Amino acid sequence: MSLSLLTELDPLKDTMPVVEMRHVTLSFDGPPVLQDISFKVAPHETRILLGPAGVGKSVLLKLIIGLLKPEKGEVLLFGDPVSSMPEQELFPLRARTGMVFQEGALFDSLSVRDNVGYQLIEEKKLTDEEIDAKVRESLRFVELEETFSLFPSSLSGGMRRRVAIARALINQPELLLYDSPTGGLDPITSTNIIDLIVKQRDVHLTPSLLVTHRLQDAFTMCTHRFDADKGEMVPLPTGQTDPNTTFMMLDEGKLIFDGTLHELLHTDNAFVKEFLE
Amino acid sequence: MAIQTLDRTAKQIVLTVQDYSIFAWRSLMNLFRPPVYWSDFLMQSDIIGVGSVSIVLLSGFFTGAVLALQSAATLSAFGATGITGRFVSLTMIRELGAVLTGIMVSGRNASSMASELGSMVVTEQIDAMRALGVDPLRKLVTPRVYATITMLFFLTIVANAFGILGGAAVTVFLNHQNGTQYFSMAWEGLHFRDVAQGLVKPLFFGYIIASIGCFYGMKTTGGTQGVGRSTIQAVVTSSVLIIVADFLITHVMLSLWPS
Repeated sequence: MSLSLLTELDPLKDTMPVVEMRHVTLSFDGPPVLQDISFKVAPHETRILLGPAGVGKSVLLKLIIGLLKPEKGEVLLFGDPVSSMPEQELFPLRARTGMVFQEGALFDSLSVRDNVGYQLIEEKKLTDEEIDAKVRESLRFVELEETFSLFPSSLSGGMRRRVAIARALINQPELLLYDSPTGGLDPITSTNIIDLIVKQRDVHLTPSLLVTHRLQDAFTMCTHRFDADKGEMVPLPTGQTDPNTTFMMLDEGKLIFDGTLHELLHTDNAFVKEFLE
Repeated sequence: MAIQTLDRTAKQIVLTVQDYSIFAWRSLMNLFRPPVYWSDFLMQSDIIGVGSVSIVLLSGFFTGAVLALQSAATLSAFGATGITGRFVSLTMIRELGAVLTGIMVSGRNASSMASELGSMVVTEQIDAMRALGVDPLRKLVTPRVYATITMLFFLTIVANAFGILGGAAVTVFLNHQNGTQYFSMAWEGLHFRDVAQGLVKPLFFGYIIASIGCFYGMKTTGGTQGVGRSTIQAVVTSSVLIIVADFLITHVMLSLWPS
């Protein structure tokens, strides 16, 4: 399979990374969950983290925003060392990021409006009317405006995931973290979710890190772009891939691959080959 | 092997006590630094205080009633049934009102806090809150701690009042004694030190109930089974600590104001 870069964009490696991990190791009362992990996420870059279940993909995401602390190594978010910062100083940094949790993690005692607008409500900078408008705009982005007054318990799994995406996007984050956003969903709903992620990537150019074990989702993200005129995701011309979407793969806590789709498909690593097959 | 297990358990206990101390201290100190979530404080006061009125009222009333029954039976042997009111009011106000209310509220609210926060932990809602830039300790724990302290104070007064009323009901309707004499003895027997003792205790008990309930909730691991475990630990630990704290406070208060 012959692949080439779609366009020549800014030299990403020369700018400050949004996220940087340096030799990070973490364990929970046993063998290390993550071992000597190092990688960067550049501005406007989308990184897809692949790997089978239970290899520490979600843990890695939580380390990025300081929900967990590494035993060794350093984690930099927007240039700040989150791994050594006290919890109180992390809250403003986290507010600049958006995270979509594996099962959505919506607050089940709050309505969709209060879930999506949670951050704005807590910041107390906007009036209720302004918050309502922003919530509706965010819900419109995920095509769920009609759920405004509903509670999470009355939503389907796919809808909950889309509301979680709307919540992550409402404050226009500078970094997006997706933890298995399509896990456990049917193919049609999964495609809808990937459509939204591609839309966010191409419309707002927000850097992101997406964790998944579904190769189909990863390849779709790399081989499609959002067409603003048609208002939907369309495939790139044959042989072309999104130049800012790259891959990493974890196995048994170690980063065994870091590169482009082309490199992924032509790697000699036996585990990667087996995973791809 | 046995020494290793002992060593591990001892370290675990010390670590838990250390974690709890930091957690409990921060939950108190958060009131003095913004943001303070007053609306959550009011909501929790309603849930904890107003929601517990019925059980506190009933347990207080019947405790006073049974105290009057038991004391009248004993006092009649000495021809002193007239001081039943004094016996009931002193026992309720100095001891039973605060302890029983504490244990009742612990059963209702420490369990509720542990299970609610525990469920939020296992469904990643607490992580989501932190990820959204909101401190769960400030948003969820501090309002519960201050609401429980405030409400337990008033609930104890309610329990004391209904305990004395329960004693009066038994004295008048079952023991056929004079109600005026009962209330007169109940009033005359009370001193400032008794009321102070009875109203200082709920402040400590409220702190124990909320901090223990929230601590076990926030430390929940192991899915839904873990939520059940946290709930049990919260109720058992807070109930035992209330009784231990009662002994310590009584000891200190009696040395400050000897009877």
